Amino acid sequence: MATEPPVAGAASGAAPGLSGGKHVATGTPSPAAGIPRVDPVLDALDPDRGRPANVVETHGLTLRFLDKTILSSIDMGFERGTITALIGPTGSGKSTFLRTLNRMNDKVTGFRYEGSVTLEGRSIWAPGTDLLELRRRVGMLFQRPNPFPMSIRDNVVAGVRAHRIAKGRQLDVVAEQRLREVGLWDAVQDRLNDSPFRLSGGQQQLLCLARALAVGPDVLLLDEPTSSLDPISTEYVEALLAQLAPALTLIVVTHNLAQARRVSHRTMFFYDGRLVEHGPTDQVFEHPRDPQTERYVTGRIG
Amino acid sequence: MPRKRRRVVFTVLFRGGTFAALALVLAPAAWLLASVIAKAVPHWRWNVLWTALTPTGGGLLGPILGTLILMAGVLVVAGTVGVLAGLHLAEMATPRRSGADGGTVLRMASDVLSGFPSIVLGYVGYVALVVGLHWNYSLLPAVLILSLMVVPYIAKSTETALRQVPTAYREGAEALGMATGYSLRKVVLRTASPGIVTGLLIALAIAGGETAPLLFTAEFSRTVWTGAFVHAHGFGYLTYVVYTFWDTPSKSANYLSYDAALILIVMVLVLLVVARLIVARSQRYSEGRTR
Repeated sequence: MATEPPVAGAASGAAPGLSGGKHVATGTPSPAAGIPRVDPVLDALDPDRGRPANVVETHGLTLRFLDKTILSSIDMGFERGTITALIGPTGSGKSTFLRTLNRMNDKVTGFRYEGSVTLEGRSIWAPGTDLLELRRRVGMLFQRPNPFPMSIRDNVVAGVRAHRIAKGRQLDVVAEQRLREVGLWDAVQDRLNDSPFRLSGGQQQLLCLARALAVGPDVLLLDEPTSSLDPISTEYVEALLAQLAPALTLIVVTHNLAQARRVSHRTMFFYDGRLVEHGPTDQVFEHPRDPQTERYVTGRIG
Repeated sequence: MPRKRRRVVFTVLFRGGTFAALALVLAPAAWLLASVIAKAVPHWRWNVLWTALTPTGGGLLGPILGTLILMAGVLVVAGTVGVLAGLHLAEMATPRRSGADGGTVLRMASDVLSGFPSIVLGYVGYVALVVGLHWNYSLLPAVLILSLMVVPYIAKSTETALRQVPTAYREGAEALGMATGYSLRKVVLRTASPGIVTGLLIALAIAGGETAPLLFTAEFSRTVWTGAFVHAHGFGYLTYVVYTFWDTPSKSANYLSYDAALILIVMVLVLLVVARLIVARSQRYSEGRTR
């Protein structure tokens, strides 16, 4: 009887090794019978082992405002540690889709949904879900930098304070660490008590990124994060996103097709409330399956 | 007329018009201030500030204290109610199903209240509080009626200040996982505080300068406040002195009338300066300021 090893949870696949990369996970190799200690070792090597490969999944997600259907039946998975670009013309529903993932639409008048969104296998609308904790885990960066009207330092730690992750002197450490992470430390270390609105637009956006990262999210939603920035800042932010990706799962709405192509692993193309096509970025841009996608990525519609 | 000439003429006329409007506002204010100073300063005695009224003259200790206490009472009562009402209108009222703002009934009631003549409110206070509750002419009915008068004002300015807080701040707070109350306290109210404080202080200035409702609820008394909230026999305040003493036969009482006017003006100026300082301090990190 004891010879059969317990079967690991079927859905709990993770890519072997450290990379959360682009590989599609196939399943956890069963630990060999008689060597039960291998699990902690593998867990230490890859903390994501045993967690679902897709951090966020949507199943038949349909979104409506009052009687108007914005998006219909979206089935999609967002793999851990990848960057997914959401492209499509204005009004195609991609922003609505993005804002649904951390439930920012819930309070909008007339918002209704069908289907489900799961975070680590659990519905984000499940009864008993802590909305604040959900938003800690699924952070967001907006189109226009929106620092709060408080000092630069207080901005970085605003979320940390709200979630009581750290306090007192620890906050200074958090502030420095996160500002270093986004490469803003050298520029602002002498004026941590200044108003954030003295910073340039690009720096303000980096400050907002530091603020979003400070609460330790698993997923970061970015709604056209560089559309109000100059090309140099844009390039910098893109490089930063690429660095963040293995540890974070990023979902980026962008109108900049070149940007989608440069930074993302996978691309979703929305058109007129439908998810027309999704796949690896190279494939969507080089060999689109759908003629509409082809016309959009080659600049003939949109 | 050639187009260019027409433009120049229009510009000159328009500039002249705006300047004239400004002068119309400034001139009476300057004239009032100058005449009060001219009448009060030549016979000014500092002991007016700390001596009590006598039937023929004396000082203004009682009325000065009375006005300050009234303002403090209004700040507590109307400030609390008004700011909370504004908070409700801007943040809490459930939107209607059509998507329009909620709180329509409350807002309309508040507007109606602010349209009431203050003397009518005073009469209501007289009938309901002074006579109805047997409180007599005293501090509490005066504070309540003055508060009733300025609550709509404070509610409106609070609501306006809150509505001017950029959506981006609220969304940012929401997306960070701040609870509604937390983001209200740490982000939204902080941003709106200059507007709220300005509204409060102007409401105080209005309350301090009011006479009509006080005639009905506080009447008047020469004695310095004894600490009684109700069942007193009248209550002294500055505007009454301004309003009645100027044409009494006693010369020293006439002087007191101008002294009281000067003191009131100085009080209002101090309130405005305090408001400015608070606004400047709380706007250190605001978007409009880059210094």
